[in-house]
Amino acid sequence: MHHGTVPFIAKYNADVHLQPNKRKFMSSSIIQPVIREASTVILGKERQIRLALACLLARGHLLIEDLPGVGKTTLAQALARLLGLNFHRIQFTSDMLPADIIGVSVYDRDTGEFKFHPGPVFAQLILADEVNRATPKTQSALLEAMEEHQVTMEGETRRLPEPFFVIATQNPSHQVGTFPLPESQLDRFMMRIEIGYPDHDAERALLQGTERRDIISALRPHLEPAELAELQASVRTVHAAPPLIDYVQALVEHTRRSPDYVTGLSPRAALSLLHCARAWALLEGRDKVVPEDVQAVLPGIAGHRLRPVHDGVRSSAIDTAEDLMRSVPIP
Amino acid sequence: MTPTTLPPLNLAVLLAGLALAALPHVLHLPLWASATAAILFLWRLAISWKGLPLPSKFVTVTATIAAIAGDILTYRTIFGRDAGVTLLVLLLALKLMELRSQREIYVVTFLSYFLALTNFFYSQTIPTAVLMLFTVYVVTAGLIGFNAPTCRPVENLRTAGALFLQAGPVMLLLFFLFPRVDGPFWGMPQDAFAGVTGLSDTMSPGSISRLSQSDAIAFRVKFDDKPPPRPRLYWRGPVFWEFDGVTWRPGGLPLLQRGVKFESLDAPVDYEITLEPHNRRWMFALDLPGRLPPRTRISIDYVLLSVRPIRTRMRYQLRSYPSYRATAGADPEDIRLALSYPRGFNPRAQRLAREWRRTLGNDEAILLQAIDFLRTGRYGYTLQPPLLGANSVDEFLFDTKEGFCEHFSSGFVFLMRAAGVPARIVTGYQGGEMNPVDGYMVVRQADAHAWAEVWLGNRGWVRVDPTAVAIPLRVNAGIAAAAPQSAPLLMRTRLNWLRTLRDNWDALGNKWNQWVLGYNPDRQREMMSWFGVRSPSWQSLAMALFWSVGSVIGIVALWLFARYRTADPTQRVWLAFCRKLGRAGVVRSKSEGPLAFGARAAARLPERADAVHAIAGLYVELRYGKDADKGSVARLRSLVRAFHP
Amino acid sequence: MNWDRILRHSQIYNLLVRPHQPETGTIFLAQRRVYILPTRQGFTFALALVLMLIGSINYSLSLGYVLTFMLAGMGIVSILHTFRNLAHLYVSAGRVEPVFAGDTVRFELHLENRRDVPRHSVLLACAGSTTNCEVPPNRVETVTIPVKAARRGWLQLPRVTMETRFPMGLFRAWAYVRPDVRAIIYPKPDDALLPMPRLSHGTGDAMNAGTGTDDFSGLRAYQSGDSPRHIAWKAVARGEVLLTKVFAGRAAMEMWFDWNDLPPRLGTEARLSRLARWVLLAHANGLRFGVKLPGVEVPLGSSDDHRKACLQALALHDADNAAAA
Repeated sequence: MHHGTVPFIAKYNADVHLQPNKRKFMSSSIIQPVIREASTVILGKERQIRLALACLLARGHLLIEDLPGVGKTTLAQALARLLGLNFHRIQFTSDMLPADIIGVSVYDRDTGEFKFHPGPVFAQLILADEVNRATPKTQSALLEAMEEHQVTMEGETRRLPEPFFVIATQNPSHQVGTFPLPESQLDRFMMRIEIGYPDHDAERALLQGTERRDIISALRPHLEPAELAELQASVRTVHAAPPLIDYVQALVEHTRRSPDYVTGLSPRAALSLLHCARAWALLEGRDKVVPEDVQAVLPGIAGHRLRPVHDGVRSSAIDTAEDLMRSVPIP
Repeated sequence: MTPTTLPPLNLAVLLAGLALAALPHVLHLPLWASATAAILFLWRLAISWKGLPLPSKFVTVTATIAAIAGDILTYRTIFGRDAGVTLLVLLLALKLMELRSQREIYVVTFLSYFLALTNFFYSQTIPTAVLMLFTVYVVTAGLIGFNAPTCRPVENLRTAGALFLQAGPVMLLLFFLFPRVDGPFWGMPQDAFAGVTGLSDTMSPGSISRLSQSDAIAFRVKFDDKPPPRPRLYWRGPVFWEFDGVTWRPGGLPLLQRGVKFESLDAPVDYEITLEPHNRRWMFALDLPGRLPPRTRISIDYVLLSVRPIRTRMRYQLRSYPSYRATAGADPEDIRLALSYPRGFNPRAQRLAREWRRTLGNDEAILLQAIDFLRTGRYGYTLQPPLLGANSVDEFLFDTKEGFCEHFSSGFVFLMRAAGVPARIVTGYQGGEMNPVDGYMVVRQADAHAWAEVWLGNRGWVRVDPTAVAIPLRVNAGIAAAAPQSAPLLMRTRLNWLRTLRDNWDALGNKWNQWVLGYNPDRQREMMSWFGVRSPSWQSLAMALFWSVGSVIGIVALWLFARYRTADPTQRVWLAFCRKLGRAGVVRSKSEGPLAFGARAAARLPERADAVHAIAGLYVELRYGKDADKGSVARLRSLVRAFHP
Repeated sequence: MNWDRILRHSQIYNLLVRPHQPETGTIFLAQRRVYILPTRQGFTFALALVLMLIGSINYSLSLGYVLTFMLAGMGIVSILHTFRNLAHLYVSAGRVEPVFAGDTVRFELHLENRRDVPRHSVLLACAGSTTNCEVPPNRVETVTIPVKAARRGWLQLPRVTMETRFPMGLFRAWAYVRPDVRAIIYPKPDDALLPMPRLSHGTGDAMNAGTGTDDFSGLRAYQSGDSPRHIAWKAVARGEVLLTKVFAGRAAMEMWFDWNDLPPRLGTEARLSRLARWVLLAHANGLRFGVKLPGVEVPLGSSDDHRKACLQALALHDADNAAAA
């Protein structure tokens, strides 16, 4: 499984390096069918599927930024079904209000009380489609929910279901009439990925194959909620040795020192990087994090948080991350 | 006056070093100089500690002039050893008073090194050496402090220690291989050997007994075979011919470059003498020396003389013939000199001698009579003889009857001459003590002795020891036995543990003398011959020096730069593996992870793929895994060692 | 010819050629880049040793040899220590904030010590200033190098000499580094007491100095041209200096600062300085403003970033000629 789109990162065969006698990490075997099944829906995008899963396992939220029609919604739906999560899709529009997401309290004549009608945010997996179409006020309502895992309405706090995973999509921001998420808000997404066009073979398979919607509706959950929770918990047990933490620190410190970036990575970004690398290692069936895991998730973690200074032409997240990786030797 | 900005703590370290260099000098500096230096020193400490101002230029200049004036007043010169050292201490102390900048620190540092060196004018013992090396260490730590202003003094001491230890091998190589030349280039200060003890070039009663108080070492002897028995250990020094009634003087006889003729009657004895400097020309030899060492002369009375006064420890090989018939120095003029005596003194002795001549026929009978006279005369041996008047021989022989070797020999020779038998006094050392620790025989100043030689025609010059005749114990058992109360403490025989201690200390001192203090061109040649270099030229020494110091520096450099290496053994092995692959054309980028690199290398070298994967996998396990054991590192090492791309 | 290659690898080549080209990324002080020579104190030390050696020979002081050779050994070994103190450092450039011409740019250099030995007293000398720094083992130390900014435009960090004399000061190891980092130098705002242009081009109301008249927002120093109605007469009565009342209002918040509005006889630099002052003034007063330069137009805005963008445009206007002037 070569990840052709990324020329530098993790060009290795995950199966070869594993020692045959080494016990595979328990949880990885559970998750492999999920990846396999999802790959039948979104063709040739296994890397993106893995990243999305890693983000989910690391209890982070995902931002997908790409053109319409490349399969953002399909990916979210497929993941929701395969993981057995209940799923809401919120289509953001410019006239949307926070209440349209969170819910409203309606006066009930019969009981004489206000009754809370939960909004679409009360679901385990939310696809927030085209968040940049909504006003900043509405956006921040969602972002606060993401951050706190709870919503506060008229002084009353309500917890959101667990697990709670938001996949937000955003069109590239140069379209007219949009409110691109400000940088400070981007930090709330653990990861941002791009899906990109399918390659030639994948496109052909797509054109020849069955209707996507039919495939999705045919998907069956592969995980119990408890199993998912256990997986999320076991991410923390993936071992990050001191030399690896050195590497994460070196990467983060480099972004802070280097004149190439407007601002460095935040401590939250550093935590996300390590945690996501753990999740990635888990998906790879390893009980320890290796530098390749960090490198694999780095574009997703750092791409939307770093802004190069000499930003003549907007460089892609992968280019930025790759420059960063090249400048920092593995200790 | 701007306040000093030098860090007080660093300055304190430097000043401590300086104090260590100056402290031993207090023993011989004039009191006013020591006191001045100490006051200036403490004042400087107070200035840096309390942030006081430095004294003005006027004060320091005036004080400098005063110091020079004081030096001249004390010594009548500013040259010479003591005057020079005093001035150096004073000027260094005054320099402290204008110590402001980093640059002046170097002046003080280098002068402190120099001051440390001057201590060796006075003492070259092991404690002095240790103290001065320690001084250099402390001064250097102080210097380092000024080049690393933010470091704590402890760190600077550690850095200085590292420098010191690494410089040690370089020092040893330089010491042993640096081509040695014989000094001096120019004259020594006249007072350089003021305190050196040894035999004198005249003999008057009391001159040797003064020496007997001293357990200082006169020379050491290493015999090639078994040493001769004690009664034959007569170490010949100056011979005295002329007597004016009070003082004996040498005869002023001609010097020869080759050996002086004598007949040897027995097997020779070969030995090597290490002579302490005594600032005179004579060298001691067992009676009678055969071959002459280089750069020596011999007088007609068999006294070995160096070309120059002996001012450094000197080592020479000799062959002596303990049984001999000495026939030189018997020209009519010599005989006349050996018969002369002042007529106006010692009438009683003259009368007795003339009586012997009249009643006894030949010289040998007179000699036997004289010996008998001494043996039966109930003479006593003492290091504190009573004072004698003008007729010293008479008073000793007939009245006080207590004396020391110079009294016995002087009285005996006077008797012989008055009886018409040619005789002369020989001074030197008698005996010596084997040090069981290193097998060297030690001859001390206390072993100084005077005896007599009598001319007996066909038998030549015959040695007679009047002291031994009168007091046999003196020669058979040594001075400590003959005069137990007045011998130096360490030479008394009863304190056995003390002797053992002294023997060991002496042996160490001897090693020190042989290999450190006495390391001269000869010793250097000898050492080089151990390495198969027979006669090293200075060029070959320079080459040996260059290469050996070069390799030591190389080793130190490797050691120093080895600490540049990665500390983690796993990582070291991994980097070695990467270098191996790099040589095979698969170069790892600095930011390439181990698994990615392994996969790439395996793709490039398909036939080595298994080994590459095994190594990469094990490395990942060790470096990033949770519970890596030490054994796996060894396994990784052996895998990498066996790996050949 | 091989000579070229030999020359290229020789230190002389490095000494003469390499420092003239700025280097990007992290600079590794490889052994080849570090030079070492005795200092004046080093020569004095050698002279002192020769004197001590002569003394030892002359007076046959064996221990004099020992002491002299010990010191010689320490001197020799200190070469290695001095060299090691500088070699194998990693140098990279850090951030640099823009400043106005005449001010001091503070370039940041990061010295990284990836070895297990501390580096003591590393001096960084650049453009007449010297900074001392210590780099502990496996740490990164950030050093600020002040450089006087004479002219607007780009200011490249000049060559930095890194040197050390640790431990004994007898030798000086040094290396030249020229990290590729440059700072933007804004034109120095002039201090003429002229108000901002009265007229903005088509947008907003034509109001005095771009300020509104609705809400009193503060006082500022009187500038000639201010309306007498806005002078704070009460303050004058108290004996204070002439102050002008400033009013904020939504009405006249948009201003354009146009290069062509300024008389050409001022000259390029003076015009840019004037514009720079206006930009600062407008930003301080919270206006929406834009800058028009020949070939460049910075659209209206009021944020900090916008101010930066405007000043940057001024700084880089015809920057090549500015450097030549």
